[in-house]
Amino acid sequence: MTPTFSTYDAAEVPLKAPSVSTDVLTSEVEQVERALIDASTRVPVLMFYTSAIVWLLIGTVLSVLVSFKLHSPDLLGNVSFLTWGRIHPAQMDIMVFGWASMVGMGTAVWLMARLCRTVLRHPLLLVAGAAFWNLGVLLGVGAILGGDSTGYEWLEFPPYASIVLFVAYSLIMTWAVLMFRFRRGEQIYITQWYLLGAFLWFPWLYSAAQLMLFAVPVQGVMQAAVNWWFANNLLFLWFGAIALGTAYYMIPKVIGRPVHSYHLATIGFWTYALFSSWTGMQRLVDGPFPAWMITASIAATILTIIPVATVGLNQHMTMAGNFQLLRYSPTLRFTVFGAMSYTVFSAVGVLISLRSVARYVNFTEASVAYTQLGLYAFYSMIMFGSMYYIVPRLVGREWRYGSLIKLHFWAAVYGIGLLTLMLLAGGFVQGSSMNDPSLAFSESTQSILPYLRGRTLAGLLMMAAHCVFAFHFGLMLFGLGRTASVPTFLNPMETEDSEPQL
Amino acid sequence: MKGLKPLFLGIFATFAFSWLGLALVPNYQIGHLDPQSDEEGTDVYPMPPSGMAERGRKVYAANGCFYCHSQQVRPDTDSSDIDRKWGDRRSAPRDYIFSRPVMLGNERMGPDLANVGKRAPADDSNTAAPVASPAGSPAASPVAATAAASSAAKPAPSRPGVPSVPPTAPPAPSPATSLDSSPKSNGVAPAYSAAWHHQHLFAPRALDIDSNMPAYRFLYQNRRINGERSADALTLTGADAPPTGWEIVPTYEAKCLVAYLMSLDQSHPLTEVKSNAPPTPPAAGKAATK
Repeated sequence: MTPTFSTYDAAEVPLKAPSVSTDVLTSEVEQVERALIDASTRVPVLMFYTSAIVWLLIGTVLSVLVSFKLHSPDLLGNVSFLTWGRIHPAQMDIMVFGWASMVGMGTAVWLMARLCRTVLRHPLLLVAGAAFWNLGVLLGVGAILGGDSTGYEWLEFPPYASIVLFVAYSLIMTWAVLMFRFRRGEQIYITQWYLLGAFLWFPWLYSAAQLMLFAVPVQGVMQAAVNWWFANNLLFLWFGAIALGTAYYMIPKVIGRPVHSYHLATIGFWTYALFSSWTGMQRLVDGPFPAWMITASIAATILTIIPVATVGLNQHMTMAGNFQLLRYSPTLRFTVFGAMSYTVFSAVGVLISLRSVARYVNFTEASVAYTQLGLYAFYSMIMFGSMYYIVPRLVGREWRYGSLIKLHFWAAVYGIGLLTLMLLAGGFVQGSSMNDPSLAFSESTQSILPYLRGRTLAGLLMMAAHCVFAFHFGLMLFGLGRTASVPTFLNPMETEDSEPQL
Repeated sequence: MKGLKPLFLGIFATFAFSWLGLALVPNYQIGHLDPQSDEEGTDVYPMPPSGMAERGRKVYAANGCFYCHSQQVRPDTDSSDIDRKWGDRRSAPRDYIFSRPVMLGNERMGPDLANVGKRAPADDSNTAAPVASPAGSPAASPVAATAAASSAAKPAPSRPGVPSVPPTAPPAPSPATSLDSSPKSNGVAPAYSAAWHHQHLFAPRALDIDSNMPAYRFLYQNRRINGERSADALTLTGADAPPTGWEIVPTYEAKCLVAYLMSLDQSHPLTEVKSNAPPTPPAAGKAATK
């Protein structure tokens, strides 16, 4: 694309297809159209991205502190708002609502506009939505640090912060869905399925949880069931759906060929929606619940192998023959890593949900590893990939340094890899000593200490990755990217016939 | 792909199915339980918690205790929870009907607290008997050593207002005993008594050298002793002890938190759960497996 078109006011562009005179090539028209759409999404999407990255940096610093405190509990322990019990939920919610949700909405809005082939109308309303969302997260995090947490995981924000979040979300969702209404073309691409699903599932999920926990609170252990149902579905139906939709767009786009099988994609979508929404209760195994709930969730977890297999197979077949492009394209590399992590994430999920394994790993750090695999290795990596694709199209510059992208990738991969290994191995060690009643309980917390130190190291690696990325993004934001017609590659391009679109 | 209606319908249907199955139906099944009582309507369990304990629950939630401490005992077929003396029986939905927020927890960086109130010494104000909780306090001996060593250097506050040091106590070499403490020489209160909880919240590693619990010092007030030392001042030794003339007293929030912890007790038998406890006469006949 060329930056020339970005000076147009997108809202003034007529919505009908531009009349194509015979002397203009269709491809040129399409290029103009795409540039106009990109231009219309520029301000809101960049705002979402910038906020997300700021939250990511804050969350990363806090999570390293949280990790340190697990093995050095007296560090900064005398100030109430810096105690472990407060910064742990604060960093978790910053990552979930500040980083992951905001970057996801940014990417989803951009993808929606592109796929509906329509300019984003009234982008300022989206900007207002993003501002409200930031306000909600800020209020919520302030409340947690100030000692006003509600006591439900991932729902620690007190109702006054949740209401702000919800207002913000209604603004954002309305415009995303309206875009869908004004779409052009009969085809609805698979990415749009996932995004529509995510945009419609989230408000239902969030309001149902708020309703059942705060407005008309359910009794006793049902709160825990609703809490887990929410947290799990947030992971699958909100983050997971956005990530899978994005991967379905990015992989074919970068390698320049269509999705291998549309039929498989459809099966994958419906089985994903059906089975993954029933998981979650396996985390309550042997808890004070009717056994059927837990069994149903374990069965659903095992059945998620079906969507994993179809999605994995489909994306693998799409990629087949183009794996050498992973050497060059940052978007492809991040996205494919994320898509592969989806398989690993689900496999670990199945493993730790089996009753025979769960008796060892329940109540250990292994469940943290599982969440991190989903939220970071799967979701966040795909989001990083999408940002490497989208940001140049918004600012009209290319990424400045290929080396920084490489650094970001490897630091993040080693970081999340080390973290997962440490927490999984540590979780098994912790669980087996916890399960042996002849050992003192403190034996189990002592046995995991070396692994927790390894986790801190992993956290530092990820912090380095995020700082590099934030710096690079800052350069782009201030117009310091490269002005070039070729995208930035990870490695110098060897002579090839087909230029990847990157 | 065409056909918007099936897409929207499908999106709603899958989600509604999950909501129905995992939230609404269970709520119908276990969401409206009443306390149980015997035929005469006495011996009601569970009872609503006291106001202080209720407030303490908020302190417990606000400070994230539940991220490391679960409050549920799993059945002994699948876990060692009961062998660890965390409870006599598995937890059941009825145990939690007055809990809001309910904090079952999903991680155990610290021990389970479902029955921590039960573990308190029977009469916690002046017990002189040795505390029968060897399983619960694994690091008693190193603590005793360090505490005894440091107590010699500690200035001995005079507390004429404290009446409850039992006269039958063995001759204690150290005067560092407090209102709730046992006459053990190291100033450590009997495990899981209120005084012990306060000491533990203020300085966890003074009681268990291996503990990785954060200290909650901001729940305590460091103030100058005006005249007499307060009855509820913490007995602390070594580096944790305040300078002479000062004392550390729990704030109201800390007292509520401890009241909440002391209120955690699921030892009462439930008809729907088999208990490993020595059967008490009224429950023994009715104990049914489910």
